[in-house]
Amino acid sequence: MKAEHANVFIRSAVEVFRKELGISLSRESLKRKETPVPSLPVSIVLGITGAMRGQVVYSMDHSFADEITHVMVPNKLPSERRKLVNSAVGEIGNMVTGQASIALAGQDNILHLTPPAVFTGKDLTVDFLQVPTVCLRLLSEMGMLEINIGLIESEVSS
Amino acid sequence: MKRGIIVDDAAIMRMRLREILEPDYEIVAEADNGEEAIDLCQKWHPDFVTLDISMPRTNGMDALKSLRGSSPDTKVIMVSAVGQKRLVIDALQMGASDFVIKPFEPERVRVAIGRIFDGAE
Repeated sequence: MKAEHANVFIRSAVEVFRKELGISLSRESLKRKETPVPSLPVSIVLGITGAMRGQVVYSMDHSFADEITHVMVPNKLPSERRKLVNSAVGEIGNMVTGQASIALAGQDNILHLTPPAVFTGKDLTVDFLQVPTVCLRLLSEMGMLEINIGLIESEVSS
Repeated sequence: MKRGIIVDDAAIMRMRLREILEPDYEIVAEADNGEEAIDLCQKWHPDFVTLDISMPRTNGMDALKSLRGSSPDTKVIMVSAVGQKRLVIDALQMGASDFVIKPFEPERVRVAIGRIFDGAE
């Protein structure tokens, strides 16, 4: 995966968190690994096909997921809000990936995104792709967002 | 009052769109996938639909294509995070009235739907 692809995701995450949540994100670290397996307990998995293919996996702590939900639906009772956590963080993952896809697709290509799948708990049994991955960690006052980007360019663009 | 259907696989986004639109429009139904959206449009004959793209079963682009055939009088406003240039052009060429990219300001959605019906009736 090219370094500029990581920068696209950083810009998209910073922009979506600022516009949608009023949360400021700053880059903490970037490392390479062999698969987009997440390391934090709440995970949002999106598949990408088309001109590029692979997986993008976001992860965060439960407390950050709860804060995101609180910001998105501030008027709901805590009991109602808890039911919306997966929907809230899934939609944030969808927005960040969607924003990134605009830059990655360019003028003529199309990238197809799967709907986000949200998983909680540390013992995930999801089949993650074996694909060179960039793991980004972005920090905010409310918590850390990890983005695992395992994308490769398809040989034939759609 | 114009009647609309909200189609998005994210419950939190359906809730937000309903809050934005209900003061001015009657939201008669919601769907979380394109297949259900097509069925609901045939049942309710709404004036407009807000349609997400990335959804399970039938995605928004396929649903748009189907709706243009089955519910030609229903206006469709795409509301999606996947605002890739070619997708936006394809959606507008297929008959969508507007394309709102998430994240959006509430006013952007109100304007998108309001101008469809400006001068109508």
